[in-house]
Amino acid sequence: MSSIDVKGQQIEVDEDGFLVDPDVWNQDIVEAFAKLEDVTELTEDHWKVINYLRDYYKQFGIAPMIRKLCKDTGFSLKQIYDMFPSGPAKGACKLAGLPKPTGCV
Amino acid sequence: MAQSKTPLLDDLEKGAWPSFVTEMKKAAAKKANSQDLVDQLELSYKDKTGYWKHGGIVGVKGYGGGVIGRYSAKPEEFPNVKEFHTVRVNMVPGFFYTTEALRSLCETWDKFGSGLTNMHGSTGDVILLGTTTENLQPCFDELSEKGWDLGGSGGGLRTPSGCVGMARCEFACMDSMDFIQEVTRHFQNEIHRPAWPYKFKIKCSACANDCAAATARSDFAVIGTWRDTLKIDQKAVNEYVKGGFDIQQLVVGKCPTKALEYTGTELKFDAENCVRCMNCIDMMPKAIKPGKDRGAAILIGGKAPVVKSAFIGWVLVPFMKVDAPYTEIFDLISRITEYFDEHAKARERIGELIYRVGMGNFLKGIGLTPQPQMVSAPRANPYIFWQDEEVVKHG
Amino acid sequence: MAKTDFGPPDYRTMIPPVIANNYGKWSYHEIPQPGVLKHVSETGDVLYSVRIASARLISTDWIKEICDIAEKYCGGYLRFTTRHNVEFLVSDEKQLQPLLADLKGRGYLVGGTGNAISNVVHTQGWIHCHTPATDASGLVKAMMDELHGYFTTMKLPARVRLAVACCVNMCGACHCSDIAIVGIHRTIPRINHEGVAKACEIPSVIAACPTGAIRPNPKLKSVEVIKEKCMFCGNCYTMCPSMEIADPVNDGVSIWVGGKVSNARTAPKFSRLAIPFLPNNPPRWPEVTDAVKHLVEVYAKNARAGERMGEWIDRIGWERFFKLTDIPFTEKHIDDFTFAPTTFRSTSQFRL
Repeated sequence: MSSIDVKGQQIEVDEDGFLVDPDVWNQDIVEAFAKLEDVTELTEDHWKVINYLRDYYKQFGIAPMIRKLCKDTGFSLKQIYDMFPSGPAKGACKLAGLPKPTGCV
Repeated sequence: MAQSKTPLLDDLEKGAWPSFVTEMKKAAAKKANSQDLVDQLELSYKDKTGYWKHGGIVGVKGYGGGVIGRYSAKPEEFPNVKEFHTVRVNMVPGFFYTTEALRSLCETWDKFGSGLTNMHGSTGDVILLGTTTENLQPCFDELSEKGWDLGGSGGGLRTPSGCVGMARCEFACMDSMDFIQEVTRHFQNEIHRPAWPYKFKIKCSACANDCAAATARSDFAVIGTWRDTLKIDQKAVNEYVKGGFDIQQLVVGKCPTKALEYTGTELKFDAENCVRCMNCIDMMPKAIKPGKDRGAAILIGGKAPVVKSAFIGWVLVPFMKVDAPYTEIFDLISRITEYFDEHAKARERIGELIYRVGMGNFLKGIGLTPQPQMVSAPRANPYIFWQDEEVVKHG
Repeated sequence: MAKTDFGPPDYRTMIPPVIANNYGKWSYHEIPQPGVLKHVSETGDVLYSVRIASARLISTDWIKEICDIAEKYCGGYLRFTTRHNVEFLVSDEKQLQPLLADLKGRGYLVGGTGNAISNVVHTQGWIHCHTPATDASGLVKAMMDELHGYFTTMKLPARVRLAVACCVNMCGACHCSDIAIVGIHRTIPRINHEGVAKACEIPSVIAACPTGAIRPNPKLKSVEVIKEKCMFCGNCYTMCPSMEIADPVNDGVSIWVGGKVSNARTAPKFSRLAIPFLPNNPPRWPEVTDAVKHLVEVYAKNARAGERMGEWIDRIGWERFFKLTDIPFTEKHIDDFTFAPTTFRSTSQFRL
């Protein structure tokens, strides 16, 4: 395990930089993650995606499928990649503090 | 002589078959990460278990796939494979290479990675095995500069692959290499930005011998075939027989529909009963050729066991022309993947989706009409779903 | 930023002139000797392809070595096959014998054509997989050290396709191979409840189970496994790292036979269970190599010319297959999953 420095506080993350304890998630962490994932500026649109992901996860216990994410937020997949250059799974889900997406590669 | 640290693996350097251990050691002589890979594998051989952590999600900018994250479960013991990710590089269709191209690939991989590769992985990509998170982006930047793109991973279109086809096979009923190249180019976004419920594989074999294992291993299998009749050169048939070839046992007796009969001077052929299996052509390539009106059959749903069961693909389109610019087949793929994206559950393959919703509903969903070639037999149970529009409404 | 989304290199820039000139014009081929294909074009042009085995996991050093060879004899052109063989593409017939002599001198195995055991399609195993129940490269090396005589000759009744998968995900065509080795687990996943609660999507874990053996444990915000329903596939572990299933004492391999992908003569077939379990005994897995060698030998002795393993078994029946191979038939061989009834015998036609 490693950790990242968020305003002087050490936050534990796994090898891929996802939160080990999702309960510690806060706005400062999002900002720290944003830098690591090549998100230059956190706009209202970014927060729309992040909040959507968190709400969905809270309600269903899983991350939404990407089609659902695009439909419900109104962003195209291209727009999502423009906002989060490392993509919806590695980028957006990480910023939203969701568990690391898994599955057979 | 110092005692070897890897006695178990050393044993696998003996014997006639090419040794992967020797290959690993060659890489280990130059690269610390390959040395740690050897040492970690020795521990696996000793303990009878793998030492790679679960999952891993890393990548390059702008892509959601093409890199598989891998981390050692023993980073203290093997610090140089703490991060040891795989880069999937889109291979040349048909796996043809100039030595210049291969050397350029090796040069980049020697610079950024372990120096170990698989030529090729199960799906077909060049597998560059083992690099750090930090090296991923510069490695891809250089590959891209040299004309190498990444392949697919995750819930999207996987790198399409196929057989050698017309480049070096007289059996080829379609241009599998060109089709694979063009389908890969056409669906780049679907490969690099995975957005579907699960993986989707396209493979193409230019004849029913299916050297690319498309029917068994891909969700969307394109199998080259023809719809006119076999071309038989009777003179060449008789030459095979004169040469001692057992036409009765190897050709006539093996024809699945008994469509062939040899009279002693002539190979008689019941064209309407031919199921285009390729056996007679395989056995007598000089005498029998596929027909001239060529195209492909499409089979859908092939996959390995997890979760619902292994499936061998099912006939979806008995025959279609597959010629550049491939408009019709690309449109079919788009309709199918659109349906897949809309209806499949997370981690459900298209074969499992069809099994769940029913082939009839799937056909309706993608706009195809049922044909008898799609089944080995019609249903034997009376549990038919009649629709409202098919019955007379009361009142 | 790097250029993206341009796809594979154009194959037209990678093929030798003899292929470019005869693309789609090949007339027939012969196999003048094991490992050598002679393709003859309508134009009269001839191409020899010389096939050698590779270790699949190969170093850039080895790639450079085969490049040296291809530059010396083949104008710098070569290809790989779908089964990890390398093919040297010889358009100048005068180069054929010198190439073969050079390959022999370097100890390369030339073969894998026609009625042979070609190279083995396999997975990463302990070398690089995160869910393996066995190694794959080591099994292949150990088996092929015993069986390479079938690679360099063409004396079998038909081709025999081998595949190895390190778990039941069966990456590689194990489910449709003449002989397939598949790594298996045999004990239930060990749940780390805290880990499940923190880092796993519980609905996804439950949905991942083919037999419905996983149910929620709301008290621990985790899941539990119904032991009687678990058949140890490990798919839950794929979804959740806190469901560890690897068990060095009990993991091992199973052997499956009779599958094929070709449509020639008979339809493609699934491989079927022959041996439910053999232990992991690295580095050479003697029990596995013996069993595979035995299967190949019984097939070679009993099958008719042109019969693939599965076609031979179809002709003689599974009852005789088990008798001839002396493999015990157990309840493990009888399917109890989704399509089980389709495998039960519904006729009085069988051999006693």
